[in-house]
Amino acid sequence: MTVADTPLSWHRATTDTRGRHEAITVSRLPVSVIAVSAAMGVLIVAAAYTAGRLGAASSAWADRTYWLGQAFIVVPIAVRLLGRRALTSGETVTLITVLTVAEYLVIVCYSPTGFTFVDELEHWRGTVDILQTGKLFTVNYMLPISPDYPGLEEVTSALASITGLSIFTAGLIVAGVAHLLFVWVLYVLFREFSGSYRVAGVAVLCYATNVHFASFDSMFVYQTLALPFFGLTLLATWRLPALEAPGQRVGWLTVAVLAIAATVVTHHVTSYVLAATLFVISLAELLMRGWRTAAWAAVLALLSAVAAAGWLVFAAPGTWAYLQPFAAGTLDSLRAFFAGGHASAPPSADPLGNQVLAAGAVLIMAVLLPVGWWQVWRRYRNQPWVVVAAIVSVSWYVIVAIRFTVADGSELAGRASTFTYVPAALIDALALVHLVGVAVHRRVRSMAVPVLVGVLMLMFDGLANGWPPFWERLPGPYQVAGSERSVGPEEIVAARWTLSALGPGNRFATDLGSFSVLGSYGYQNPLQDVAYLYTSPTFTAQAQAQGLRYIWVDQRLSQSLPASGQYFTDDPNAGKYTRPLPEADLQKFNQSAGLARIYDSGNIVIYELAEP
Amino acid sequence: MKRQADLAITAAVAVLACAAAALGAPVAVTAVLGIALLVAPGYLLGQLLFGSRIADLERVAVVTGLALCVPILAGLLLYAFGLPLHRAAWLGLLAGATLIGDLALLLRRRGGPATPLSWHRAAGRLPVPHVVAFGAAVVIVVCAVGLARVGAAIQHYPGFTQLWLAHPNENADTADLGVGNHEGKTMRYRLVLKRNGRTAATWNLTLANGQTWQRSPAYSGGIAAYLYTLPDLAQPYRYVAINGNGAPGS
Repeated sequence: MTVADTPLSWHRATTDTRGRHEAITVSRLPVSVIAVSAAMGVLIVAAAYTAGRLGAASSAWADRTYWLGQAFIVVPIAVRLLGRRALTSGETVTLITVLTVAEYLVIVCYSPTGFTFVDELEHWRGTVDILQTGKLFTVNYMLPISPDYPGLEEVTSALASITGLSIFTAGLIVAGVAHLLFVWVLYVLFREFSGSYRVAGVAVLCYATNVHFASFDSMFVYQTLALPFFGLTLLATWRLPALEAPGQRVGWLTVAVLAIAATVVTHHVTSYVLAATLFVISLAELLMRGWRTAAWAAVLALLSAVAAAGWLVFAAPGTWAYLQPFAAGTLDSLRAFFAGGHASAPPSADPLGNQVLAAGAVLIMAVLLPVGWWQVWRRYRNQPWVVVAAIVSVSWYVIVAIRFTVADGSELAGRASTFTYVPAALIDALALVHLVGVAVHRRVRSMAVPVLVGVLMLMFDGLANGWPPFWERLPGPYQVAGSERSVGPEEIVAARWTLSALGPGNRFATDLGSFSVLGSYGYQNPLQDVAYLYTSPTFTAQAQAQGLRYIWVDQRLSQSLPASGQYFTDDPNAGKYTRPLPEADLQKFNQSAGLARIYDSGNIVIYELAEP
Repeated sequence: MKRQADLAITAAVAVLACAAAALGAPVAVTAVLGIALLVAPGYLLGQLLFGSRIADLERVAVVTGLALCVPILAGLLLYAFGLPLHRAAWLGLLAGATLIGDLALLLRRRGGPATPLSWHRAAGRLPVPHVVAFGAAVVIVVCAVGLARVGAAIQHYPGFTQLWLAHPNENADTADLGVGNHEGKTMRYRLVLKRNGRTAATWNLTLANGQTWQRSPAYSGGIAAYLYTLPDLAQPYRYVAINGNGAPGS
């Protein structure tokens, strides 16, 4: 099947009842105009962010301005991709590029002068270490596993070194390029699988509806860089069996080997998913007697697995300890769920609008996937990769079950969506293109509108329920126990003071809001299980047993409820606070024996524990 | 000669990037050359592996992916051989990889099969109105990022003053005493150092915004420091205390 020769392309059959071709070749909405609309959307969002910074972060009109800007970005692109007008391959690529770049710039505008998100600060710290010491595998107290996967920090420190750019600017370039590269590779893969660039464009649009597309998959975090290598390996696996010339085979094999190696040293989970994906493809090809593809996929799967295992054993032995609690917690919750036990997701604190969007999106996806499977059965059942995508897309239902029924399930669901949406997006696109095609053929325009509305609902669900969360949708003044809005000058100056005055790596107690600042700018070792220190009326000796050296006390914990619902990284009362912490619980440190009050900046006070 | 233009350009980028770094050229120059140098090995590797046998978007993706792979994997190798990953190492690595790639590609092309980069124009030249529209889009997003940066720069944060008294090295005879003004304006302070409840020293300080003041008083048990904002001497603005209850009023 050749590209753009898809049976699902509705343009070939747009002949009216009297046998005349309808004039549908030229769109009244050129791609260049859509690019201007998306740029305007970014500008409107930037204006909303500025309004938030100038004191309107909680105002309804600033919030609406943000969503207006997002509509300028998303709506024209969705309309054009799903519209009945002709679309060239170049236009499709331009549309998905405009979407990806515009949403990335929205993130840049949120924190335009420096990283503020916790995961980004973790990798910023790692890059600073490489630049300062020239060494890999140095200690990172906030994310101890990240130095064992130094790919992102290597590229960023290389770029910052040779260009003289700041780590922030170099990091934005690396993350942005990696994100766009992943989208392009996804597009090429979808185009190859479906034989249609229209389906491929719609599939990328569907992929962009996942809650992490505009956040964790494009931020300065190690997964962002590993994803394009994951995609390139799949592309090489797709290309290898079809090549007859040995020269080209060597080319794609080299790409595959390098991409596998880069994936393995950049991000743990992505490398495991890559190996598993290749094994599944190999198995499917084997069952469908695609011997050559099965063989190539098996070889690359084996190579991925050996490389990932080798790295795990010899270079990153801490990976298992890092992933095990997360995996064990999820398994326990699932076990309890299937046993009819007590595990359940806590009631959502999200606004009603977000919950409605989430429920609507689940409903739409749940309907679209079976329609897509039907299309796979009708048109692609001899295409093993599409069949694999159809089978693996069932995992979307599992993820939804986890999201709504398991404690901490939303985080797992969010993280998994990066991968589960790859097959699900393709199947959704097959369904959507079929539905729009039916609407065009039968001249039932009223059917096309709900399809478009459904896709837009998916898009806005991804944005509304992604990151930043509703309580930090707009940047603004300091928030107690928040995320980006808990990173301000007073916190940064205090954290830097700890590094210069106390040295690196001291064990600190701190709240959630200051955790990332202290670990990154301060290069300290903040502990997570410290809530008891702040929530009890007396100072206990348990702090000594934890090996704590310093306690960071933000007086604002007694003035506001936590924006995130929890004051501490590991907070047993998360979501249960009805009033701020008692002031006396924070003041007790002043009267406690064995504590020295060594730093005071008004809101932030630091105490030193006497050495045992 | 036209066939080898890409090799000449990449070789020139490698040499110029190293020269710019050695001469301390402005960031605007090193940034452009550095980004080109990061891409060059990926481009050359792509040429060596595929020539012009893959289509445009796929080629861009492969070249970009290879360009990102080079510093990751070669950086690991350098580190394994004991080389610290400083600027010289990265420049040497990327410039070396570029020049080796140039040489390999030159030999390959003289031998026959590999062809230089040629981008297919499937749709011909873009009409002027569309070029103008895309240009306008670029200008608008530049303005958007500029607006966001201005917004971040003018965001108002409450001012604050730091006071510290630390003794991190238990063998040291002195402590670190300091004041930092981040109030957004020049401030006048009085700093009182007490030992066992008795005033041991007093300083009147005038600090501009962003200015710090530091001393190293002798360390002994029961020292505390109280900072007042003049002319208010009734309540300390900040206080710190080591080895003793230094709370005001105690």
